[in-house]
Amino acid sequence: MLSYEAIDKDFGATHAVINVTLDAEPGVVLGLVGENGAGKSTLLKIAGGIIRQDRGKLNLDGKPVSGLGPAGALAHGIVSVFQELTLVRSLTVAENLFLPAPPRRAWLSIDQGRLEADARVLLDHFDVHVSPDALVGDLPLGQQQMVEIVRAINRRPRVLLLDEATAALGAAEVEWLKHIVESERRRGAIILFISHRWEEITAFCQRVAIMRNGQLVTVADVGDMSHDRAVELMTGARLGGVFPTKRSPSGQALLEAQGLVSEVLDHVDLRLAKGEILGIGGLVGQGQDALLKSLFGDHPLNAGKITLAGEALDLRSPADAIGRRIAYVPQERKVEGLLLQKSIGANLSFAILPRISRFPGFIDRREERRIVSEAIERLKVRVSSGGQPVAELSGGNQQKVLLHKWLLTEPIVLLLNDVTRGVDIGTKTQIYAIIAELAASGMGIILYSTDAHELVELAHRVLVMTEGRIRAELAEDRLTAEEIVRASTRIEEANGAAN
Amino acid sequence: MVLPTEMRRQGTVGAIATFLVLFVIYLVLKGGHFSAFDLKTLCMNVLPLALVALGQFFIVMNNGIDLSLGPVMSVAGAVAALSFPTSVPGAIILALGVAALGGVCNGILVVNLRLPPILATLATMSVFQGVALVILPSPGGTVPSGLTDSLTHGLDWASTPLLLLVAATIVAWWIMSTPFGLWLRAIGGDEAGTLSSGVPVRAVKFSSYVIGAVLAGLGGLYLAIATASGSPTIGDSFILLSIAAVVLGGVSISGGRGSPVGVVLGALTLTIIGRLLYFAGLSSFYQSLINGVILVSVVGVVVVREKLVHFLREWRHAG
Repeated sequence: MLSYEAIDKDFGATHAVINVTLDAEPGVVLGLVGENGAGKSTLLKIAGGIIRQDRGKLNLDGKPVSGLGPAGALAHGIVSVFQELTLVRSLTVAENLFLPAPPRRAWLSIDQGRLEADARVLLDHFDVHVSPDALVGDLPLGQQQMVEIVRAINRRPRVLLLDEATAALGAAEVEWLKHIVESERRRGAIILFISHRWEEITAFCQRVAIMRNGQLVTVADVGDMSHDRAVELMTGARLGGVFPTKRSPSGQALLEAQGLVSEVLDHVDLRLAKGEILGIGGLVGQGQDALLKSLFGDHPLNAGKITLAGEALDLRSPADAIGRRIAYVPQERKVEGLLLQKSIGANLSFAILPRISRFPGFIDRREERRIVSEAIERLKVRVSSGGQPVAELSGGNQQKVLLHKWLLTEPIVLLLNDVTRGVDIGTKTQIYAIIAELAASGMGIILYSTDAHELVELAHRVLVMTEGRIRAELAEDRLTAEEIVRASTRIEEANGAAN
Repeated sequence: MVLPTEMRRQGTVGAIATFLVLFVIYLVLKGGHFSAFDLKTLCMNVLPLALVALGQFFIVMNNGIDLSLGPVMSVAGAVAALSFPTSVPGAIILALGVAALGGVCNGILVVNLRLPPILATLATMSVFQGVALVILPSPGGTVPSGLTDSLTHGLDWASTPLLLLVAATIVAWWIMSTPFGLWLRAIGGDEAGTLSSGVPVRAVKFSSYVIGAVLAGLGGLYLAIATASGSPTIGDSFILLSIAAVVLGGVSISGGRGSPVGVVLGALTLTIIGRLLYFAGLSSFYQSLINGVILVSVVGVVVVREKLVHFLREWRHAG
């Protein structure tokens, strides 16, 4: 039995996992469900030795297995398959399959012949049609994921951790994985399974653990849990008042994009009216990021036309976009958006330096202070002063600072990249109110979100993307979470049919 | 596994081509004859660079870099030159031991303290330069003449330098064919992925710095024996040359791809370029200038080529 006992884990100011106690038994597949940032992956990474909990104990059959590191976890038979692939793309399939211990000859050299033969046998056994000599980086994502799954099973795991292992798989491959998981389960393995698709949870799992904001809400038999009930528990039964009421846009065209083509994007068209909130949905990594960045001059386009209020734009860098009063709030606030060690004030004024610069290059500090203190007032962030480092704020408040940093540039188009991900519900409510207010004032907003519910409640129209293309446009009656999910996963049906 | 595929994947084909082109130019300029004596001279000239470049290779393969290998050569040479009179085997062991210690320092800084390799080894480079100057302020020391002769004499076609060069290449090739070599390549390809595959990443990286320093120590030892004295600054020019040879050898500067054969060919190419400059009548003062230009051009060519390949692939896919 794998037991989590009162596990806590913080990432900076964010509580990723809070006091979770959970047992996983042999011969049972335990599903973990929850919204993005609910702490599911963190729990698996703790067991897989990737990260170490701050407090609490982790035991496998009564023996402590905390902080082993990946190699140590493997030595205890704890094997992970993660959503971010852990194969080495520059090595061959065979080399990856037998990392870290390939078959050797007497003088320690790797036995290349046996390596390939063993790999072939293994791949055949699991019915994976991939050449052992192919470089992993040359394979499509789905096959890479399959190779990784084969490697994991070949390690004869006592504990198998599957973190969105199905995300890159088509319908036929999901079925393939289901058989494998079922036979591992019958062998008596302890299996933890994360998926965002409820039908996979019911197909793969016997038990399901529901998480919300880092806490374990409940554990139940899958048969006793309906999808609706699970969603209610995952989202904390969304109370009225979280989402503002929608106001209709003016209809006056603001931003138009035609035939955007890049490495990632495949002929994307969109138009945004003044005062409109245009939602972008779909599974993670379908080109939504690239679309927003291309409108911000931060993603190279091979073809396509972007016009703002009828005027053609040539966006070569974010500076061009800022000059046209287009603002972009990134998802990874720690990487792309904020200088964590700098003060709130410095972060806020960073994007408007040109406006507060005076000849011959000095910064008008008085103007800066005035703007910053105004913004802090509006932020409703409890801060000791504008001089406090951003790193000391909670994740939600950091996100608000980031949002306001861009609002200070007085944009007419605002691009939001999944800004509420991992943010608590209270702050979310405030951010939603700000978004609605900005739209009402005539700003055009493009909102990418991984939360379908959020898109439905905030956006006037939603474009669903798959593989760099716009797969569906949903509005009015058809704008429901179910339709978004259906359009997002339509690609899998196509894949399944192809196989 | 098909050898040509492997050579293409490890970037060795380009290294072979570059070497052949320059070798032909060199032959033409020399009037077409290449004697056993020329081979021996070439091997003598290339050996220290080949050794330190092989050392650099193991470090670059896992996305590290070591600027201190040149000064490690100086220190090892100085230690050997000072202790040869006491005992020859003792001096060799001591010199290599001191070199290994230098590698351990780099390993601690880069792997345990997580300093960026370029910064950590920039610092140790200066430290080792200082150590060499403290223990041997000016070129000197004693090297038994028998030892020097054993290197420069020997059979013409199977001279000691040639045998050492071949032996070093084979040993490096062998290391790369073991699981350790696979781990090195894997780390250079994707460190996080390799770690979660269960590879002892830290130990492998640490070892690469020690192996690199020992190979540099061997290079320094060879130089001391060949020149019959120690010099506190003799390794300095190898700081850049070792990296240039690795890059010329087709090794990806961010690691994960490369072969020892390519690196030795890279060292040979650089040595031949040196000879060509000599033929061209350029003063040796130009050597440093030219070496820098070569390094930048090769890295530049690699970057441009990768972009071109990427572009062509995209274009084919689109078409």
